[in-house]
Amino acid sequence: MAGRAPIATKSSALIAMIADEDTVTGFLLAGVGNVDLRRKTNYLIVDSKTTVKAIEDAFKEFTTREDIAIVLISQYVANMIRFLVDSYNMAVPAILEIPSKDHPYDPAHDSVLSRVKYLFSAESVASGRR
Amino acid sequence: MKISMAEEEAAAVHGNGDSDEKVLEFLDSLEGYLTLMESLASTLRQGWFELASARHSMGVSRVSSASLDLKDHLASTYLEMTQHEFDESIMRQPQFSLRKWASFENGICSSGEEKPDSPQLRQRCPSQISENQEDLSKSDGSHTTVDDLVSVKKERSKSLSVFGTLVSPKLRAAQASFETALDILVEVANLRSSMLSARNQVQRGIEETRK
Repeated sequence: MAGRAPIATKSSALIAMIADEDTVTGFLLAGVGNVDLRRKTNYLIVDSKTTVKAIEDAFKEFTTREDIAIVLISQYVANMIRFLVDSYNMAVPAILEIPSKDHPYDPAHDSVLSRVKYLFSAESVASGRR
Repeated sequence: MKISMAEEEAAAVHGNGDSDEKVLEFLDSLEGYLTLMESLASTLRQGWFELASARHSMGVSRVSSASLDLKDHLASTYLEMTQHEFDESIMRQPQFSLRKWASFENGICSSGEEKPDSPQLRQRCPSQISENQEDLSKSDGSHTTVDDLVSVKKERSKSLSVFGTLVSPKLRAAQASFETALDILVEVANLRSSMLSARNQVQRGIEETRK
């Protein structure tokens, strides 16, 4: 493997959204909405009637689709399926937790930050220096 | 004997320097991530406010999810993703760039490989995209022609027309705010990749030191 030239692969991909109505509407205004011939969309609008199962199904669908590179999910929605979000560890699609109108962003619940915070424990840093 | 000990000490110092550099890279990515998330929150708040103002002037029924276009259509704003495989032991670190108000066509192009022909999938390589007059404003601010600007305006209007022929200026402002939010989100995604890659390297360094 020494001396092997890095291979770059470029592809086009969509942004998926699992968020409240205003957030999804806003991003659709910015042109990210995609509806295919089977009427499958790249977004799910979450309201008071949306079930946790529907959110889980949408998350699983968006994270397995090959044409999606980023999944935006409101943090309060991510909290409803926290186990699923935290157990997701693929590089693509990237899961980004975003704030919503009624729920500000909380770094303590961010799945990305929780994956790296253990590096700040005194024990892990000190043990590496011995 | 003395020379080999000196060499070993130099290697140890160099190794510690490398791990410090990786830790610094990780911390820089982390700081950038948190700063961008604050900026994103502020931009989104502005967008929500403008959307609420538009809803107030245009009416609740016009600016709602009921107005959304459910007919099949392609995204006008999408991502271009580059994945570099440097080493099999390091997770691939993808890089994202935003393509605004262009026409999304599913395709995969690899450097040094011939683009496969497919009658079903319309495929374009990035080099061809730059020649296409319909391919427009990029988030990196590259030069656009007059045709590009006209096309961008047309695509923006098309997106707004979902909510009616005459729309409030606040709705246009909301569109601009959410476009800015998308730019920030792509930067966040790239920093996320850097942060996770740096974390993996730091973690590997710690494990190697423990052995």
